[in-house]
Amino acid sequence: MRISLGTLRIIVLLGVFAATVLFFASQIDGYLNARLFNRISGSVAVIALIAVGQAFVVLTRNIDLSIGSVVGCTAYFTGGILMAYPDLPPLLVPLLAMLIGGIFGALNGFLVARFRLPSIIVTLATLAIFRSILVQSSDGSSITTERLPVWLTSFATQNAFSIGELQMRWIVVISVVVVLVAHVFLTRFRAGRQFFAIGSNPDAAAFAGINAGRTIFLAFVISGALAGLAGFMFLSRFGNITVVAGLGLELKSVGAVVVGGVNIFGGSGNVLGVLIGAALIDVIDTSLVRWELVSEFWREAVLGLLILTAVAADTVLMRRLLKRKTDGGQQ
Amino acid sequence: MTPVLVMRDISKSFGGTTALSAFSLTLEPGRIHALVGENGAGKSTLIKTMTGIYQPDSGEIVIDDRPVTFRGTADAQRAGVAAIYQEPMVFPDLSVAENIFISHQDRPKLINWTTMNDEAAAMIARLGVTLDPRRAAAELTLAEQQTVEIARAISLNVRVLIMDEPSASLSDHEVKRLFGIARALRDQGVAVLYISHRLEEIFALADTVTVMRDGKHISTRPVQEVTQASMIAEMVGRDMAGRFAREPSRDTGERLLNVSNLSRSGAFHDVSFHVNRGEIVCFSGLVGARRTDVGLALFGVEPADSGLVELGGQAVVIANPKQAQALGIAYVSEDRRKLGLAMTEGIAANITLPMLGKYAGAFGWLDRMRELADATAFRKQLNIKAANLTVPVGTLSGGNQQKVMLAKWLNTKPRLLIVDEPTRGIDVGAKAEVHQILRSLAAEGVAVVIISSDLPEVLSLADRVLVMREGRIVGEFAGDAATDEAVMRLAVAAEVA
Repeated sequence: MRISLGTLRIIVLLGVFAATVLFFASQIDGYLNARLFNRISGSVAVIALIAVGQAFVVLTRNIDLSIGSVVGCTAYFTGGILMAYPDLPPLLVPLLAMLIGGIFGALNGFLVARFRLPSIIVTLATLAIFRSILVQSSDGSSITTERLPVWLTSFATQNAFSIGELQMRWIVVISVVVVLVAHVFLTRFRAGRQFFAIGSNPDAAAFAGINAGRTIFLAFVISGALAGLAGFMFLSRFGNITVVAGLGLELKSVGAVVVGGVNIFGGSGNVLGVLIGAALIDVIDTSLVRWELVSEFWREAVLGLLILTAVAADTVLMRRLLKRKTDGGQQ
Repeated sequence: MTPVLVMRDISKSFGGTTALSAFSLTLEPGRIHALVGENGAGKSTLIKTMTGIYQPDSGEIVIDDRPVTFRGTADAQRAGVAAIYQEPMVFPDLSVAENIFISHQDRPKLINWTTMNDEAAAMIARLGVTLDPRRAAAELTLAEQQTVEIARAISLNVRVLIMDEPSASLSDHEVKRLFGIARALRDQGVAVLYISHRLEEIFALADTVTVMRDGKHISTRPVQEVTQASMIAEMVGRDMAGRFAREPSRDTGERLLNVSNLSRSGAFHDVSFHVNRGEIVCFSGLVGARRTDVGLALFGVEPADSGLVELGGQAVVIANPKQAQALGIAYVSEDRRKLGLAMTEGIAANITLPMLGKYAGAFGWLDRMRELADATAFRKQLNIKAANLTVPVGTLSGGNQQKVMLAKWLNTKPRLLIVDEPTRGIDVGAKAEVHQILRSLAAEGVAVVIISSDLPEVLSLADRVLVMREGRIVGEFAGDAATDEAVMRLAVAAEVA
C-alpha cells in the first residue's frame, strides 16, 4: 500500500509525541497519570485553537505574528464587557470573543490583501499596536477572577464527560471539534482547497481565476476569530487578565504549525498534524518545568530547537522530492 | 468554415516599443494553426493579449462573431480560450485531479474525491494518456504536468488552445505523445494555435502557418504551400534601412581564448571555439539554444563538466566567478534585474561593486572619493545620463542601466568580455552607443564575446558568427559573409532547400 506523504508525517509526529512522553516518564517520578492529562489538555486546547488559525494563514504563504496580542485583547475586552454586563447569556460570550478577535484579524487581512503588504511586517506592527491598545485601555487595572461571573471561571474545569480518571473538559472538546471542522473544510470543500492553491503557486492561482485577496483576507479573519475563542478560554482558565496576557503565543502557534507539518512557504499541510504539533509543544513546555536536570529557563530554547528541527527535516524532504522530479524529467 | 476566434488589427505597445502592430489572425475549429517568427517578433505579446493578460491598445477580438473584452485570464477561460506554456503552471502541492478542476466554479461546494478522481482519469484518458489522478503535481515530469494543463483546459470546454513552445523541454518520445494530444483535440473540434521554433514540427502537425515579424502579420498559408526556406525568408526578411553599418575588424590575430570540447550535462556539448584579442565573436541562435549556459560556464557561475579552456595559452580551471574575474574575464548578464544591478543602489556603488578591494584601505574602510572619481570617468566615457552618481540605477532608462552594467565590468579591466544580449529592451539611440562602446573595447585589444538573439545586431558587430542549436555549435560564418537567412537556417535546423 502506498502511504501518502501527509499520512507518513502524522505517523512520525505521533511517534515523536509518544517518545517524548515516555522520555519524561522515565525522568520524572509519577509523571504518567490522569492528573497530567487533565492539567495539560486545557492548555493544549488553547494552543491548538490559535495554531489552527495560524495554519490557515500559513497555508496561503502568509504569517500572523499578532496572534498573542489578539488573544490578550479579546480576553481583556470580553472580561471587561462581562464585568459591565454580568447577565449576558453565557452562549453569547464566546461568540462575542470570536467577533472581537475576528475584527482584529480583519484589520490584518485588509492590510495584507488590499494593499499587498508583506504579512510578516503588517502583523509584526499589529502585534505591537494591539498590545498597546490592551495596555492603554486597561490603564494598569486588571481583570480579576472575583469580578467575573462564576459560570465563566468554573467553565474551564467543567467536564463534558470523563473516561475513567481522564476528564474531558468542555474546552478540550470544543477545541477538538474546531480542529475536525477545519480539517473537513480544508480537505473536502472547494473553498478550503483554494487556501492550498494560493500558497502552492500564486501565479497559477491567478491564472485559474482564484480570488487570492478574498481568500487571504478570510484566512486572517479565521485566525483572528479562533484567537478570540482562545482568548475566551484563556479568560475562563486564568480569570486574572493583565497586560501580559497571551504574550509569546505567536511563537508557540507558529511552532505548532511547522512542527505539525504545514509548509512554512504555504501550499501543504494538515490541521490534524497541527493538533499533534500543539500537543507536543505544550507537553515539552510544561514537562520541562518539572524536569530537574534542566533549568526551566531553557524552555524557550527547546521550543526554538524543535522548530528548527522540524523546518530542517521538512526542507530536506522537499529537496529530495524535487530532485526525484528533475531526475525523472531527464529520462 | 466559421472561425471561432478572430483577432482584428490588434496593436499593443510598451513605452516606446511597438510589440504588435495592426495584427490580424483567424482561428478555425478543428484545425492546427502554427505561428512562427523570430525571437522578439511579438508572439508572446500576442498570446498574452489573446488570454487576457494584456489588453490591446486598439483592434478587437471577436469570438463567434461577437466582439469580446478580456479583463483577465478568467474572462478568456470563460470564453473558451486557454494557453499552455513551456513551463507548466501547475499547483505542485495539489493532486492531478485538483489541478484539473481547481478553477471550476460550477462543481459542488463539497468535494467528492472519488468522483473527482474518476472524472479526472476520464479527462486524461481522452488525451490518450494514463496518469494517476491522485499523484501530487510536484512528482510529475514536465511532460506530464503539461498533460495536466491540457486536461484542465479541455475540462473547461476549451475551444481555442494556445500551445506556446510546448515541445521545447520535452524528449522525442514525449513530443510524439504531445502531437498525439494536439491531433486528438483537433479531431474533437478545438482550434489549436501551435507556436514553435522547430520548423520540422510544423510540417508534421500544422494545417495552416502564419509568419509574423516585428509585430506585424507577414503571411498566412496552408502548410502545403510553404517550405522551410520560404518561412525563414519571411521570418528574417528586413529592409536594409533597419540595419546598422559594419565597421572594419580590429582582430589582432593573437589568440586569447581557446575552448575545446566544453560540455555541461543537460546544457551544452562539445563546444569548441576561439577568440582573438580585438576580435568580436557573436553567438547566434534561438532562445533555448543554450548560448547563455556557455557564457555562464566561462564565467564560472555554472562550471562545465568537461572540456579544456585555455586563456593566453595556459590551461585554466574556472570553478567560480571570483576565479574568472582574477583571470580577466567579465560577464555582463542579460538579466539586468536578477543578475546584473543592485537596483536600489547608486551608479557609483554599482560600478565599484566587483572591485571593492581596489577602494578599500585599512580595516576595509572605503575610499569614497576614489570610487566617485572612477565612476565619474565612466559616466563621461560611456555617456551615462543621470542626475548624479547616487540616484538609484532602478530609476534610469534601460539603455543607461546597460551602460552602468558595462562600466561595472570594464572597471575590472577584463581581457575577455562576455556580453549577453547587450541591447535587449533599449532604444535605438542607446543601442548604437552600446555598439560603439563594444567596438572601441575591441579596438583596445579586448576579446569580445557577444550572445545576441538580435540578428541585425549580430550581422553588424560580428567579426565571426557562431550559430548554436540545442546545445551545440552547428555553424560558423565570417562576419561579412553571414546573411540573416543563412544564420536562421542553421539556427532552426532547416535542410538547405
